[in-house]
Amino acid sequence: MGGKFKTSYKGDMALFQTLWVKVWLGILAAAIVVCPQFLSTYQISILNEMAIAIIGALGLNLLIGYTGQISLGHGAFLAIGAYTTALAAGELNLPFIVTLPLSGFMAALLGMVVGVPALRLKGLYLALGTLAFGFIVDYILFHWDLTQGDMGMAVNPVQIGSWSVQTEKEFFYFIACFAALATLCAKNIARSKIGRNFIAIRDRDIAAEAMGISLAKYKIMAFGLSSFYAGIAGALVAHYQKWIVPGSFDLSLSIAYIAMIILGGLGTVLGSILGAILITGIPHGIIYATDVAKESYPALSGLIVDFKLGIFGLIVVLALLFEPQGLAGIYRRAKVYWKTWPFKY
Amino acid sequence: MERVFEIIINGLSTGAIYSLLALGFVLIFKSTGILNFAQGELAMVGAFVCFTFASQLQLPYLLAFLIALGIGAVLGAFIDLLFFRRMVGEPVFATIMITVGLASILTSAAGIIWGHDVHAIRAPFTDKTLEVGNVVLTHGSLITVGVSLLLFVVFMLFFNRSLLGVAMRGTAEDPDTAGLMGINVNKIHMAAWAIGTLVAAVAGIFLADQSFVRLSMSHTGIKAMAAAILGGMESIRGAVVGGLAIGLIEGFAANYLSGAEVGGFHFGDVKEVAAFVVMIVVLMIRPHGIFGREKVERV
Repeated sequence: MGGKFKTSYKGDMALFQTLWVKVWLGILAAAIVVCPQFLSTYQISILNEMAIAIIGALGLNLLIGYTGQISLGHGAFLAIGAYTTALAAGELNLPFIVTLPLSGFMAALLGMVVGVPALRLKGLYLALGTLAFGFIVDYILFHWDLTQGDMGMAVNPVQIGSWSVQTEKEFFYFIACFAALATLCAKNIARSKIGRNFIAIRDRDIAAEAMGISLAKYKIMAFGLSSFYAGIAGALVAHYQKWIVPGSFDLSLSIAYIAMIILGGLGTVLGSILGAILITGIPHGIIYATDVAKESYPALSGLIVDFKLGIFGLIVVLALLFEPQGLAGIYRRAKVYWKTWPFKY
Repeated sequence: MERVFEIIINGLSTGAIYSLLALGFVLIFKSTGILNFAQGELAMVGAFVCFTFASQLQLPYLLAFLIALGIGAVLGAFIDLLFFRRMVGEPVFATIMITVGLASILTSAAGIIWGHDVHAIRAPFTDKTLEVGNVVLTHGSLITVGVSLLLFVVFMLFFNRSLLGVAMRGTAEDPDTAGLMGINVNKIHMAAWAIGTLVAAVAGIFLADQSFVRLSMSHTGIKAMAAAILGGMESIRGAVVGGLAIGLIEGFAANYLSGAEVGGFHFGDVKEVAAFVVMIVVLMIRPHGIFGREKVERV
């Protein structure tokens, strides 16, 4: 399949397998650097949302897509990261270099706590457990004086040395670095021993255990890693929004993240990125479309919220019914099709 | 003492709603192996349909009730036909996420059709009360408890005595073997979805009687999941007992904890979260619930 022959083990393990991959990545990097110069503030803000979503989606895909552990509480881990940042930066006046990893580790710690029952629970029971966890975190944030309940918390802007990230454009370059770093890490985790163990657990946990993979260690590691990603994404959301309220990290956020990885492709790094970009972009697309149609159908603007929710649901359902491998699967098939054309395989 | 009695009565009447919703979960799970996250949304749609016929079209309440049940059953059969017919034997994640997606679609459709306003259905028994000693019982809650107990008996008989019920149990155990035994698996699944949605509509209409008809009433469905887990996902008896238990726990928590405050933590509307705490505790201690059987996994 394809024209890619490897003659050495090193070649097989290479991160960028062909020259073309390097070229395309170079073009992408250049585009990321240049593009914001030509975009409006609103357009850059969409890109910022996408970049943060990429980090969260990568984390969730490590857990659901690679390890096969269902989590309906990803939003709660984002909340933990966001609130850790708000508290550490606001109350304790810690610098960003400390608060960001702190948020990640805080979320990872709680993720590993949630991961412990996951050793006993499987499939839908795990889904229910994480769902309940999400609701409980939401409830705690609402009712604790420390988190200021439904008032929400203000978050200081990012300050590194004397440089403070203020404008959308600055924030874009700032987050883009993290998104790239997160992608690189995810890709490396996926192709290393850890990632292979995750996949083995997903495919058949009993067989994986029989082969000598410690289920306890790797399941908890998957939860920890995924929550770490969520914590970092949450911390960035907090800095980006400047104001966080508990209600924005509820079940619907968890479902949006799941929609991202299902649409993009479970168990692929590329899929997480594509899914995050599309699911974040779609609501803006809908708003744009209704703006255009508003003149002829004024009643439409009141229905945006409903449409957004319904379209998310529809995407999840249709993707699972007709394209379980997601966009990454379509991309893979298209690539093979063109490479082997005019033959079928 | 009187206060406790009142909490118990109120808890049981909320619990009966959870029981009805949990019955729907169990019915669908028992025969198709799918955990339906959209149960609360189906209940909401049922309540809205009843509201449309009873309040907007001014039909007699009983007729509107029956129409809502009929539409519920048809909707359930349609859902099976559209979404789950091709999902037999797919991984748990896929089926769960389809029901989650379905929940979003139903909420969105209900929002577009009926809007975000809060409505009330006027039933013949609304606001009527019965006094036993010093305790006031509303007719609505009595009927809710009665109906959920009635349905419990009906489904117990159905699953143990009727051919369709036994076929449903067989299909849940192993769809392939059931198919080889001459059971029409597709038909069984469709029937399960129709009955499950019908029960959800019953629950939704009674819930509407206790509170209001609105989009957010579907949230009750998620709490009813705690009831199903507590009783055991495959046990009809468990659904009823679990539902009533969750109702009681919520009632007592709301009465005795909501004013409490520990180290800057206000318990507040603890009612909203009590069911989830129970759910986590049950999952940690006894994931198969009170009446469920532990599944042994074959390699």
